Amino acid sequence: MPGSSVTIRNVDKYYDDFHVLKNIDLEIKENEFFSILGPSGCGKTTLLRIIAGFEDVDSGDVLLDGKSILQLPPNKRPVNTIFQNYALFPHLTVYENIAFPLRLKKFSEKEIEEKVGWLLNLVRLEEHAKKKPSQLSGGQKQRVSLARALANEPKVLLLDEPVSALDAKLRQELLIELDNLHDKVGITFVYVTHDQSEAISVSDHVAVMNNGVIVQYGTPYEIYESPANSFVATFIGESNLMKGEVTEVLSESYVKVEFPTLGEIICYRDKPVKEKDWVLVTLRPEKIRITHSKPNISDYSTTNIVHGVVDETIYMGYQTKYFVRTDEGYILKVYKQHVSYLLDEKIIQWKDEVFLYWNPDDSYIVEVEED
Amino acid sequence: MKSSKLLKSFESYGYVYLFWLIVFFLIPVLAILTYSFLTRDFQGGVRLQFSLKGYRDILNTTYLTVFLRTVFISLISSTLSIFVAIPVAYYIAYSRFKNFLLLLVIIPFWTNSLIRIYAWIFILGNNGLINQTLLRLGIIESYIKFMYNNFAVVLVLLYTYLPFAILPLYSSIERLEKQIFEAALDLGCTKRQVFFKVLLPNIKQGIISAFVFVFIPAIGTYAVPELVGGKSSRLIGNEIARQLTTAKNWPAAAAISSVLLVITIVAVLIFMYGGEKRETR
Amino acid sequence: MKPGNFSKIVLLFTLLFFYIPIVVLVIFSFNSSKSPEWTGFSLRWYYQLFTSSNHIWRTFVNSLIVGISASLFSVIIGTLGAISMYLGSEKFKKLMWTTTYIPFIVPDIIIGVSLLIFFTTVHLKLSLFTIFLAHVTFSIPYTMMIILTRLQDFDKSIIEAAYDLGAARFTTLRKVIIPIAFPGVVAAFFMAFTLSIDDFVITFFVAGPGSTTLPLQIFSMVRFGISPVINAISTLLLVGTIFISIFLRRYVRYII
Repeated sequence: MPGSSVTIRNVDKYYDDFHVLKNIDLEIKENEFFSILGPSGCGKTTLLRIIAGFEDVDSGDVLLDGKSILQLPPNKRPVNTIFQNYALFPHLTVYENIAFPLRLKKFSEKEIEEKVGWLLNLVRLEEHAKKKPSQLSGGQKQRVSLARALANEPKVLLLDEPVSALDAKLRQELLIELDNLHDKVGITFVYVTHDQSEAISVSDHVAVMNNGVIVQYGTPYEIYESPANSFVATFIGESNLMKGEVTEVLSESYVKVEFPTLGEIICYRDKPVKEKDWVLVTLRPEKIRITHSKPNISDYSTTNIVHGVVDETIYMGYQTKYFVRTDEGYILKVYKQHVSYLLDEKIIQWKDEVFLYWNPDDSYIVEVEED
Repeated sequence: MKSSKLLKSFESYGYVYLFWLIVFFLIPVLAILTYSFLTRDFQGGVRLQFSLKGYRDILNTTYLTVFLRTVFISLISSTLSIFVAIPVAYYIAYSRFKNFLLLLVIIPFWTNSLIRIYAWIFILGNNGLINQTLLRLGIIESYIKFMYNNFAVVLVLLYTYLPFAILPLYSSIERLEKQIFEAALDLGCTKRQVFFKVLLPNIKQGIISAFVFVFIPAIGTYAVPELVGGKSSRLIGNEIARQLTTAKNWPAAAAISSVLLVITIVAVLIFMYGGEKRETR
Repeated sequence: MKPGNFSKIVLLFTLLFFYIPIVVLVIFSFNSSKSPEWTGFSLRWYYQLFTSSNHIWRTFVNSLIVGISASLFSVIIGTLGAISMYLGSEKFKKLMWTTTYIPFIVPDIIIGVSLLIFFTTVHLKLSLFTIFLAHVTFSIPYTMMIILTRLQDFDKSIIEAAYDLGAARFTTLRKVIIPIAFPGVVAAFFMAFTLSIDDFVITFFVAGPGSTTLPLQIFSMVRFGISPVINAISTLLLVGTIFISIFLRRYVRYII
């Protein structure tokens, strides 16, 4: 089942006076697993519904493999949707739910049996074929809705927060299953969610949305490691977000930034900044090393070292989250993975004096303040 | 478990309810069934003597016609109500103003039923608004008999009992997860197919309730045919009253009532199990 | 899926169908002539209603007396019944359900006729009292179900929590169950009152001479023919109904 590419071109949409989508331009490659990520109300679901055909656009176009589908009603588009609350037909069994689109197309009974059988096998629900939706768990219902949507052999599968209604463990499982399904079936998946961990775990590309605008597009690695602005930096993963003033330009890629209550830090820049500019810098907690004794480094002038006291610890088994108060009073989040037997070390605890150090590449300028 | 026993002790509260219904409902209904098999006392009432004359009195073509007419009119009224109620209930269920619209539907239902019947007499009666206006304008020379026939009875029955059909259908539709309609469209259904393959099967309970809520009052209706039906539109209700008050033939009245009761129970059973059977197919 | 134009049109026609007759009725209650020809605005029929229609007012008062007393009684029995259903065993619930469903499927006329026969057989004279008994009878299934629906919105563990905290049986009833049930009780009272005030067929059979209620009065007047006094009564009743429904719209959801 080859998938289609999806192009969103200059799409604008208003709900009464509310400008919900502002000039959206998006290119989704064929057969890829694409996620649209953003907080509630950012417009991601509206965008999905526009692709499905349940909403109109006020201007712009939606193309499948280069051809506009805007004029087509939802039942004529080669696109199918997985809804957040599954939308299974309560009056039909699992088998009949999946067979539903096939019956519409007037397949013979034998063809239907074959196809539904294959789909039931694909989502591993063979024993539940005769059950009604009310007898299924959330995860099972979602798999039925997947099978049903795939029965239609769509070119694009749209998934509207498919795992948010499930509990944490099930979410993980179903996400992996979706990934495997995508590999097996090969069509384009467009996945919408507000949960960044879902989006970055299985996607080929991610578009981050906020307030009706796409704020960043890239691979999960790019989005995580090089956030385009402070919104992405804080929305994806955890971050220490700090505001400071550039004091010295060291080279094309490094500057010294003075932070109130933190001191002078060497930061990486890929945006042109000059002295006296105010900047927002992001520093991911897992990139900071934490030790009791001063670190033994060859060149202190190219590493950032900060001294402080542990204010709070949250032990999570595989890692500990530390909240360290620097000498000047700033609180930095530091995550340390316990890569070896913890009880062999001197465990870092509350009220301990510690040294934090990190590579200047990881304190990264994410926004320059406008004057 | 202590709490469970205490909770169950509240059961005795229900005895008053049961007692009342047994004394004032069950027993009188049984009395009617019994009286239909007793002998008529010409001073009014019955004598304690078994007789089938009550039933024989009503076993003639006149009564057969009345029974058939009543069933027929009730079926038509119920079916028409459902045809109208489904789109209305669907619209209200999806409207932003559902509470307001529901109120609009319920208010007529709370006005006195006789007033509602009178309104139609006022408009369609022989001396009513339409006739008087047409006469005055010279369009007709003598009044048109809109009322006092089966059509008027069905019209007024519909007018009186339509809200009874709208409310349970509204309830049924409202409870559905609305995305199943989008899912159906998404999977390739035309709007017609969504209606027949997705909406109707899922509101079956609502349709049955709506049907029963109109059918039962219709089949036992008295005031409507009495006021707007003509001599050719006498229904079961009118006959019962006539046997009871004019002819003072209690066993006959009881017999008609018993037959009415049987028709009602049979009808309800058919509707309820008719729905069930299609479910399992 | 949004409803299409077809549903909208049907709804519109239905609302017109419902309201045009009523509106016509109201308009012509202000007509100065007796026949349905508009000859000018006049309040004479209302005047006549308020000054020279004692017999009509007496029936209205009768309706109120029966309505209020029967509704009160009905609500009390209904509440007791609902509580027993809410907390009772499965077997008991089944018994209650069966007893409740049967009156729903029996047409009014049979209830009326059977009660007439019953009262006559036990030599109970037909009067306002027999009307009262009849009204309580047909309304308790409704009041019970409305109050039960309200109770069922609440978890039984609230009751158990009350016991846990030390409340005795009667106190629990007073302080926990009844306050919870209260909105349902109000809705049920309103429902019972409406059913009572509006009832015609059952009342027709169990009323005695001199114990006429308003619907019976209207019925005999309508039988005679068109009269603007009836229009006036209708308008007043309608206004009253609207007032009460707006006043009590909060409780509408317990009835549906």
